Amino acid sequence: MEAGHQAASVSYRDVTKRYPGQTEPAINHLSLDVPAGEICVLVGPSGCGKTTAMRMANRTVEITDGDILIDDTSVRDRDPTELRREMGYVIQQTGLFPHKTIADNIATVPNLLGWDRDRTRKRVRELFDVIGLDPALGERFPSQLSGGQQQRIGVARALAADPPVMLMDEPFGAIDPINRERLQNEFLRLQAEIQKTVLFVTHDIDEAIKMGDRIAILKQGGHLAQYATPAELLMAPADDFVEDFVGADRALKRLALMRVRDINLWEAPLAFIGQATAEVRAKLNGAEVPHALVVDSERRPIGWLSDSDLRGDTVPQKPDTGPEPILDADDIMRDALADLLQTETQYAPVTDAQGRIAGVLSVEIISEFLVSPEAKVEEHAAVERPRAT
Amino acid sequence: MTLAIAKLVPLLGAVEIHNRTGPNAPCQAQNKAFCLGWAVDNFDRYTTPFLNQLLLVLLCVALGFAIAFGLALISHRRRWLVSTFTGATGVLYTIPSLAFIFLLLPITGLGWTTAILILTVYTLQILFRNILAGLGNVPPESKDAGRGMGMTDRQLLWRVELPLALPEIIAGLRIATVSTVAISTLMVFANVDTLGGPLYQQITFKTNIVIAGGLSILMAVAFDALLLGAQRLLAPWRRPSREAIV
Repeated sequence: MEAGHQAASVSYRDVTKRYPGQTEPAINHLSLDVPAGEICVLVGPSGCGKTTAMRMANRTVEITDGDILIDDTSVRDRDPTELRREMGYVIQQTGLFPHKTIADNIATVPNLLGWDRDRTRKRVRELFDVIGLDPALGERFPSQLSGGQQQRIGVARALAADPPVMLMDEPFGAIDPINRERLQNEFLRLQAEIQKTVLFVTHDIDEAIKMGDRIAILKQGGHLAQYATPAELLMAPADDFVEDFVGADRALKRLALMRVRDINLWEAPLAFIGQATAEVRAKLNGAEVPHALVVDSERRPIGWLSDSDLRGDTVPQKPDTGPEPILDADDIMRDALADLLQTETQYAPVTDAQGRIAGVLSVEIISEFLVSPEAKVEEHAAVERPRAT
Repeated sequence: MTLAIAKLVPLLGAVEIHNRTGPNAPCQAQNKAFCLGWAVDNFDRYTTPFLNQLLLVLLCVALGFAIAFGLALISHRRRWLVSTFTGATGVLYTIPSLAFIFLLLPITGLGWTTAILILTVYTLQILFRNILAGLGNVPPESKDAGRGMGMTDRQLLWRVELPLALPEIIAGLRIATVSTVAISTLMVFANVDTLGGPLYQQITFKTNIVIAGGLSILMAVAFDALLLGAQRLLAPWRRPSREAIV
């Protein structure tokens, strides 16, 4: 990568958009701050003004009242074409130029900026690397690429001049679900490296929760209903509209934001190979987990002791029940639940990075978490969002 | 007006058939479909009319394109002008060509100026509408992307809109050129010696009709093929091409 521009903060200050001939404003006194390097998702039902809000940042829609600051410089003081060349722009139908080759498409902004040919060519080659596509595609026309490839090229084109801010208007909206998920993950991985400030428009709350460091929920008439991190949004919806929009399954969605280590795990009585079963039986009295977990000398889980195992004198090397599924403390909670349900077990040992037992997760812990709230999540998920891998 | 008709009558009435004697006379006398011998002996009499017609078509299509292109660019971002220009060029397009010659007679008289004026005016409607149709068919998301990445209006026009409109523009040129080739034969009545000259002078002599008419058709087909080739060459991203709107 070229020496990158620093990401810039974006700040909406009491922004209003009124279209002539309409009594109601399309955007109504919108104020929000996006710290440099974060993804801010603008989400809401159709007609809520989310795209209008995004477009005012590069002045493809003019601001009626208020101001938008990019790193403390008002966009109103900037020449619109210069301003736009400093912002990546990705749209749903890709907007790739059908008459230009892929390489020429990617080189659009460098060409507008008057880069010399070598620098442009070098940058284009770099970008193929960044988005993980074969540079040989550069000679093709957009219509010869798949939808997913086209959208990747759209992102590469937006990144060409290494802009500090990216505007993305439903960039993955027209892609089938499987490829969409792949593109989302790729973009999150990319973003972890390049750390642009991103304004991301979508109508899909799940996408918003997945992609956003912060989410701005807009409602009809361009009112900001809530601006919060995904976890805050799921835990404490500001009003009925947000609660409705986030969906009845918001508790489940929270699981997607947590890792196993974010929750209070239970402790299982541990049994070591060759240990007397009498000792183990004693530990089982009043334990949180009513089964004993056999571990090796490094405290790595080997299996669960069954009743017949316990009737023996010592803990056997091979207990009747295997330890599966073994969860990692870094696993995403939703996936952990899926593992539990799939193997039809109540309990699963959770291990740390070295494979040593760190606790036990049970379906009961998760269901308790789902019905009861908050405290635990607030500490963790609010500051730390799982990066999809 | 009477004067004008008097001027035209000798042309229209000239139906004498030349060269009724000589080795090819029997073929001519029987007025067979095609007398090869006569054609070989007399081919040079078509050279000047052919070149005249070629020049006339090239001039008028080029001129018409320049004007229509200008009108299209002016009205492209001022949509209210579109109906004005469409109406005006449309009215001009409906004037019958012979009537057009009479209308211009008191102003420009007979000759190249009149012929160029008429043929140019006839191309406007087709070219104007096709250029606009081409610009109108540019995908909105391409324009949005161009503008959003910081193209000025001019850059958007030359780098995105016009290249994407090119297939329709060339389609318009094809139609305009072919129809101009056809109408240009009539310009013999404006006293320009196009292939219409030999055609109308010996209207009953079949060999003549075949040669004069055939050359005119050949010219039209050649132009069409050339422009089609240009279209393929200049729009490699789009195959097969969409139909033009006329």
